[in-house]
Amino acid sequence: MFEGVDVYLDQLRQELKGCDSALIQDALSDAEEFLRTALTNAKNVNPNISEEEALAPIIDKYGSPDEIASAYREIESRISPSLTSTVPQRDRSPLIKLLRIYGDSQAWAAVLYLVFSVVTGSIFGLWALLGAGLSLCTIFLIIGLPLLGLYLFSLRGIALIEGRIVEALLGIRMPRKPIFIQKGLSLSKKLRLLLTESLTWKTFIYLVTRFPLGLVYSLGLLILMAFAVKFITYPVLGPVFDRALITLGEQKYYIVIFLYPVVSLAGFLLLTLTLHLAKFVGKQHGRYAKFMLVRKEPDNDQ
Amino acid sequence: MNLISETSKKFQKELNSGTASLVLLGVLDRAKESMYGYQIAKLIEAHDESVQMMKQGALYPVLRSLENSGLLESHVDPSVSGPPRRYYKITKSGHDTLKAWIQIWDQTKAFVDTILEGNENV
Repeated sequence: MFEGVDVYLDQLRQELKGCDSALIQDALSDAEEFLRTALTNAKNVNPNISEEEALAPIIDKYGSPDEIASAYREIESRISPSLTSTVPQRDRSPLIKLLRIYGDSQAWAAVLYLVFSVVTGSIFGLWALLGAGLSLCTIFLIIGLPLLGLYLFSLRGIALIEGRIVEALLGIRMPRKPIFIQKGLSLSKKLRLLLTESLTWKTFIYLVTRFPLGLVYSLGLLILMAFAVKFITYPVLGPVFDRALITLGEQKYYIVIFLYPVVSLAGFLLLTLTLHLAKFVGKQHGRYAKFMLVRKEPDNDQ
Repeated sequence: MNLISETSKKFQKELNSGTASLVLLGVLDRAKESMYGYQIAKLIEAHDESVQMMKQGALYPVLRSLENSGLLESHVDPSVSGPPRRYYKITKSGHDTLKAWIQIWDQTKAFVDTILEGNENV
């Protein structure tokens, strides 16, 4: 028998120990959505029934925590995050391994994420900072507290959107449902809950740091790719437009024609390494996003 | 007796892993509006009074897996009486896939029935 929805959720959390934290968050919000809706309906039919009595038949039909945990584990094992490659990588020569990056959807998706991260980063960062500033300035006015509450909720919403982008483009499993905050609590209790939870502050720090990180990612990647493309096309476009290979201040550096293939090759190598770098940085950023935006479950090793 | 009930449970579970997706697509294909998990579970329960085929909670990960495959789409709406709800709707690709799955289901059902009824001209 379960005394309340929270007891069930605690047990479900225990059963899902060791699973991906995003999966745990999804499973808990699914269970919470179902059990609380069913409980409200049961109480509408029979207002005198205790929560424990009402929950027994509901949980019997919904499934015990161990049954539900095994259902999630089973389905999750069949799903791979959106663009993650599931093809086993067999050992081939280092050259083939290096060139395989051109067919790697994860690398191209990471390029997309990193190139546009200056745009998303500046929107996220601006919102986080402006919202915080506005909330602080109005904190002693009547609208101060509701405004602060709305702002903190909006951070959760943005974190969910960023999570979906990270999962789709960087292949890191992120929550697919918002975190539920119990209904029926007063505004001040909800605010206290939000303010005291480390996830709120970690989300804030993440969103603020997203702007400088986005700037570095986008600029770094675009500069590297621009150099690579310039080197690759130099043998054709250099002589046609009378462009120097490298210009440092007033100094222009040209190279002799027989070295043109070497420049093209160097450009191709630079592009290849840039793609590898983008994939690596994308993965590391995905881990950082997961650490900052997903509620940490105890003893969760993933 | 216990062994029979255990093997039956296992058999039912294996069957469910395939049929749950078909049932959920079928329900959402007939639905006029988007539906959330609890509504879908209740609708299935109404057709399934004698014996519960699968735990209602096991429908949620299947819904998510169908969405992940592009057969369903969803949006989250706040609710007056509880946590926010995720509403699911079938996609065009989901509708086409359902048509193909129904054909496979009909063929499988006919094949299994023929075998079980002892017709040797399968």
